[in-house]
Amino acid sequence: MYSDLLHALPNVVAFANFAALVIGVLAGIVVGAMPGLSATMAISVLVPFTFGLDPLVALGLMAGIYNGAMYGGAIPAVLLRIPGTPAAVATTFDGYPMAQKGEGGFALQVAVVSSSIGGIASAFALMLLAPPLSKVTLLFGPSEVFWVAVFGLCSIIFLLGGNPVKGLISACFGVFVSVVGSDPIFGTDRYTFGQLELLDGIHIVILLVGLYALPPVIDLLETPLKTDTSNSDKLGTEPIWRTLPRMLRFWKTWLRSAAIGIWIGILPGAGGSMAAFMSYNEARRTSKTPNTWGNGEPEGIAASETANNADTASALIPALTLGIPGTAVAAVMLGGLLVHGLQPGPMLFRDNPDIVFGFMWQFLFGAILLVFLGGSLATNSFAKLLKLPRPLLGSVIIVLMLIGVYSIHGPMFDVYLMLGFGAVGYLMDKLKFPLPPVVLGLILGSFAEENLRLALRIGRGDWSVLFANTTSQILVLMTVAVIVGPIIKRRYFNKSANGPDEKA
Amino acid sequence: MRGISLPRTISIRHEAEAMSNNHRNRLIRPETLTALGIVAVATAFLVPTASLKPISALLPAAMLVGLIILSVALLIDDQRKATAGEEPKPMTSAPKRVLGAFGLILGYALAVDFIGFYVSTAIAVPLVAYAFGYRNPLGLAIATAIVLGAIFMIFDFGMSQDFPAGRLWEN
Repeated sequence: MYSDLLHALPNVVAFANFAALVIGVLAGIVVGAMPGLSATMAISVLVPFTFGLDPLVALGLMAGIYNGAMYGGAIPAVLLRIPGTPAAVATTFDGYPMAQKGEGGFALQVAVVSSSIGGIASAFALMLLAPPLSKVTLLFGPSEVFWVAVFGLCSIIFLLGGNPVKGLISACFGVFVSVVGSDPIFGTDRYTFGQLELLDGIHIVILLVGLYALPPVIDLLETPLKTDTSNSDKLGTEPIWRTLPRMLRFWKTWLRSAAIGIWIGILPGAGGSMAAFMSYNEARRTSKTPNTWGNGEPEGIAASETANNADTASALIPALTLGIPGTAVAAVMLGGLLVHGLQPGPMLFRDNPDIVFGFMWQFLFGAILLVFLGGSLATNSFAKLLKLPRPLLGSVIIVLMLIGVYSIHGPMFDVYLMLGFGAVGYLMDKLKFPLPPVVLGLILGSFAEENLRLALRIGRGDWSVLFANTTSQILVLMTVAVIVGPIIKRRYFNKSANGPDEKA
Repeated sequence: MRGISLPRTISIRHEAEAMSNNHRNRLIRPETLTALGIVAVATAFLVPTASLKPISALLPAAMLVGLIILSVALLIDDQRKATAGEEPKPMTSAPKRVLGAFGLILGYALAVDFIGFYVSTAIAVPLVAYAFGYRNPLGLAIATAIVLGAIFMIFDFGMSQDFPAGRLWEN
């Protein structure tokens, strides 16, 4: 089962693939360091540019960006108390007080080492858990695959938190977008309105760039952020190997936070922010000196940074094996896989073992590279990026978005479509409609429809075929549990919260 | 009698105006407007499903009906909040900047389509940055030159990517 993993290794260390990983990590740190830009946005903008590239080069870039951005978010979190990415919020609690005391350099070194440890643990989890899970999912037929898709959509809607009605609206919108184009079996046009460009359906990249790249650009232009970068000028440049012994006392926090991050990453709908907060709280709870937390305790940075990097590769365990992404970035990465003709799910491991296992190695190497590329001197340079003017950055990203979308097929129609999705994405973002269900709806919608129709053909139109075997029944039960579980939990917590008031 | 009835008339008019404003305010809440918009669009999209084969129409119709039902639920929830006196959160702190940003992006896309990629980009990069607060002429010139040069070297020269030349010059 794991022999394919070893076979994939030589390809990963080939010059082009490794260079892509290095560039990805550097680009990821840059993106993460810029408040307002995220890994999700960077990968969305990048995906169209990877069309002509070898799949491993493209995936190396994505893996590098993901790893790099999760650490990069710590740079403004420490120096400006502005998290570069949402997952770096918990890093601000102790990072910024350390920077104010003139220990910003050490804070960033703790962040980079912890991020690397979290990323390495996560990559190992992906390597160990994904192959056996894929063996099980290989046994699935059309009805089981249909239920897996339904389960995936439901889990991301209901476990994401927030308003489930809004989550369902997002998912319905995504699934509806997936049906635009020719019918997969009869070939009749659906909602193409005579536009030839829509016959093949709406390309996932158009949706990704519109939903994930345009709203942050508008935000960049909307808020004229003025930042005090004085902390970035007084960073320590002590070599990382000298500060490493001072960090070894965090080993228990590293282990605990890595486990929390991996677990949260596997859960669909949760994400790096939740992992970082849970890990920070847990580390503080078990600390002998909880009073120092929040005033510049480096262990706090270790806890949050380990956890938010430990959820990177692990979020791909359900994504690669079942086609259900654990986080928004994983959803965008699924889009990246589809661009290269790699359909996430059990068949991926059987048909493209070199690529899928190579991708896992890239996550591991990306995490290791963080220490070398994000070390002390490099961190000083990345900190200077905080001085880049946001309006200029916004205008450059707009140009990149246009080039990326235009290069998919050629017509400007795609660009206008992307702008339309961008406007929808901006409204959804402001009205707190979750975006991952839209992407997942687009990915799983057509997948679910094809398998549903296939199952019905096998069952000669009899709908009971969908519930005919034990695996399907288990998947139905899991789907029901995912829907009902949060409702029961919310009611229980509401009752507990109302309890004392009622007595009073 | 007249002296007593006048303030009452004014008070009734004020109440009527307040009720009318309240009624109008209830309808222009962002979530209410969104829900109504989704219902309208989903209903319009339901029409073409009638001409599809039942199995082809199954998923789109299910999604559109789902969108209508969920939007009605969202509408009711938002109106309940309005009845309880809950103020809607403003969608943006700077609506003019947001509209301006969207306008400039759309204008850039149209310019690329009609007058060509390089000319539009050479205008759009400094214009967007200037309009949104970066006013250093040297910085703008250097940034525009770097962006255009990098695009030409990487995409045009390196990847043989053709960009729109502009519909206006096609003939």
